Amino acid sequence: MGVSMNQPSTLEHILITTKVEKVMNWSRATSVWPVTFGLACCAIEMMAAGASRFDFDRFGAGIFRATPRQADLMIVAGTVTYKMAPIIKTLYDQMPEPKWVIAMGSCATAGGPFDSYHTVQGVDKVIPVDVYIPGCPPRPESLIYGFMKLQDKIMTSSLADRYKDIFEEVG
Amino acid sequence: MFKNEEMEINLGPQHPSTHGVLRVKLRLDGETITHCRPMIGYLHRGVEKICENQSFFQGQVWTDRMDYCSAVANNLGWVEANEKLFGITVPRRAQYIRTMLNEFNRLASHLIWLATHALDIGAMTVFLYAFREREDILDLNEAFCGSRLTTTAFRIGGLREDLPPGFEKMVHKFLAKFPTCLEEYENLLSENRIWKKRTVGVAKLNAEDAIAMGVTGPVLRAAGVAYDIRKAFPYAAYAEMDFEVPTRTEADTYARYLVRMAEMRQSARIIQQCMDGMPEGPVMAKLPKILRSEVNEVYHATESPKGEIGYYLVGEKGSLNPYRFHVRAPGFINLQSLPKMAEGGLIADIVAAIGTLDIVLGEIDR
Amino acid sequence: MTDPNVPQTPETPEAPAGSYVYDYKAAPNRQIVMPKTVPLPSYRTYLAEQKAAAEADEAKWQKSLADYETAKAKAEAEGKDAPKPPVRPVPRKDDNDLKTPWPQEATDVDLLHLQACLGDKVEEIFEQAGELVCQVAKEAVLEALLLCRDDGKLGYEMLADQTATHYPAASDFAFSVVYHLTSISRRKRLRLRILVPEGFTPESACVVYPGANWMEREIYDMLGIRFANHPDMTRILCPEDWEGYPLRKDYPTVGWGQRDISFREDRGGMLDRIALEKAGQLGINLKQPKAD
Repeated sequence: MGVSMNQPSTLEHILITTKVEKVMNWSRATSVWPVTFGLACCAIEMMAAGASRFDFDRFGAGIFRATPRQADLMIVAGTVTYKMAPIIKTLYDQMPEPKWVIAMGSCATAGGPFDSYHTVQGVDKVIPVDVYIPGCPPRPESLIYGFMKLQDKIMTSSLADRYKDIFEEVG
Repeated sequence: MFKNEEMEINLGPQHPSTHGVLRVKLRLDGETITHCRPMIGYLHRGVEKICENQSFFQGQVWTDRMDYCSAVANNLGWVEANEKLFGITVPRRAQYIRTMLNEFNRLASHLIWLATHALDIGAMTVFLYAFREREDILDLNEAFCGSRLTTTAFRIGGLREDLPPGFEKMVHKFLAKFPTCLEEYENLLSENRIWKKRTVGVAKLNAEDAIAMGVTGPVLRAAGVAYDIRKAFPYAAYAEMDFEVPTRTEADTYARYLVRMAEMRQSARIIQQCMDGMPEGPVMAKLPKILRSEVNEVYHATESPKGEIGYYLVGEKGSLNPYRFHVRAPGFINLQSLPKMAEGGLIADIVAAIGTLDIVLGEIDR
Repeated sequence: MTDPNVPQTPETPEAPAGSYVYDYKAAPNRQIVMPKTVPLPSYRTYLAEQKAAAEADEAKWQKSLADYETAKAKAEAEGKDAPKPPVRPVPRKDDNDLKTPWPQEATDVDLLHLQACLGDKVEEIFEQAGELVCQVAKEAVLEALLLCRDDGKLGYEMLADQTATHYPAASDFAFSVVYHLTSISRRKRLRLRILVPEGFTPESACVVYPGANWMEREIYDMLGIRFANHPDMTRILCPEDWEGYPLRKDYPTVGWGQRDISFREDRGGMLDRIALEKAGQLGINLKQPKAD
């Protein structure tokens, strides 16, 4: 198919049939905005992933938002402590739906090397997690791979799943 | 007349410019800060308690994760404190390699400081530039010990392995490039009018206050006190190195910026000297397989990029693990001076004050 | 007998008794191992220990000599060959680079000056691993700190670190509090040490070194030592509602279960707050009236 600049009207006549769900998923998966939420060591690797060499922006996720109210992805990068847990919960509650959580690093996954009195053993005790990334800390490549896994998950998600409870209530 | 109404503001724990999970309680009169109270502990992970139940060899892993921007400097303090506890003499080649890696780490840490501090104040470009050079340093870390950030670079008594082949070439390549990069940052910032308006005369802390509060590192040196542990109590191979301790007398944010930039130049000088004068020989002292301590008590301080990091260890007779392990974290002590810096200033300047202290919450809360 | 030409059939490994279950309660981090000794470095104790060890060694040697004499006499009486005379054991010399630093007698001018100024209040002075240690009476700590800072011959301007250690096995004290002082001008370090029993409130160092504020708060938070005349004696790292003092030796590494919070639990009080708000919108006052 040859589309040249001389024939601008060609594109206007292309018709694609697809599902609304797929279009929504596609648009969501390619512009995930994470919240700037660094807890510990992994935050430095998260910054490195966003910086020059790894360039997280290629995946549409380079805009780290300063407030949870504008974000739809929370990358929990670091150790979750007892004192911090309620704040993470508050932040998560402030994010608008649909929202996703990546537990980055072994601390956020399962407490990591910090098997101690003040460390919550994994952020999944506080908020639901979509993707777990191992490593202490994970390399930026790992974060990017985990993010791609999240994109796959978003692409396969269905609106009916997410709002199943509401649909059931409505009948 | 108008009634002065004070407003309370909570900065953090989730705030993009608090470098982690610092929380600052502020009381404002208009835009002026009348009261400032830093609240910490949101990343308290119990490192001291964990390390008291781990053997001397294992403990190093947790020191990486305290000040994660300068893991090598933390490792160096830890191994040297242990060597003091056991009375171990380290081979000279190992000392040189340690010194070199420590200085690379200082560069990496200062680059992170520069990137985030400039980002907080509003200069986005420096962030991208500084991280570009930092990645090269992390490549060197990776070539030496296989890890980028949490290095566990040294062992008690020396090093695990010698330098890998091709390391020297990488170092020379980096050193040839780095001065130009520093000039690039300075071109962007040093005479930048916005940068100077945001930093000159902001967050002052004079020498008397700094010494009384126990503040160390570049913050103290920018107040005119030439206290650098590398010179005052030389450790590793610093006694054989020829370098200067840059100081300023203005004691404001801009002076601290200048001091850190000058320090980066000195670090590059030290690395060059290490490469030139690298002695041959073994890199590990002869040690028994299991180290059992005697009753002893040491406090060993080294100069981390943030200031004086001290390790306090108490040994029990015949024990495999330290009886007491305590870290004197430079950030913990430096952060105490935040109210002195911020009170009376504008609310917008507290971001500069936090950035200029170069805090890392991992070591503050431990 | 096995035939070497026939390949041996590998033995089938025994099936485990059940599925592998990690014994969570037996994990080392959950155990409390109370220390049996008091590892408090001290020149006096070191000398006493050395003396006792030498005496024990001598006694052992005398005993083996006496044993030899009796054995020799017995052998002579029975007409057998005489047994070998005992050899005094020489301590084995390890071929390694370890050179344990033992406590030594104080020779440094600073320590002698401190002792001269404070007199009886100095309990002990010694040097170890190149570090100067001065143990003072617990009531005189403020006086000693003031002297260290203001005396022309000492001039320790900075308090580098202050921390404490728990000694549950000791009889007449429970904690040692150490102050690491640094003299920037003279490039010297000094460690002041006090021994405090449980319940004793030592004087706060904040009046001498303002930097002691957070360090003392940390000591209170971690070990439960309160300091008198401290401007703000509250917890610093753990939350205000924390129970127990984590760095005491009778506290397990994993704590007492505070960390095992769950998703359902509403520790931040968000649900309560929302309920109050919703009720307020409907005109219902759920708030308890405050007692005056």
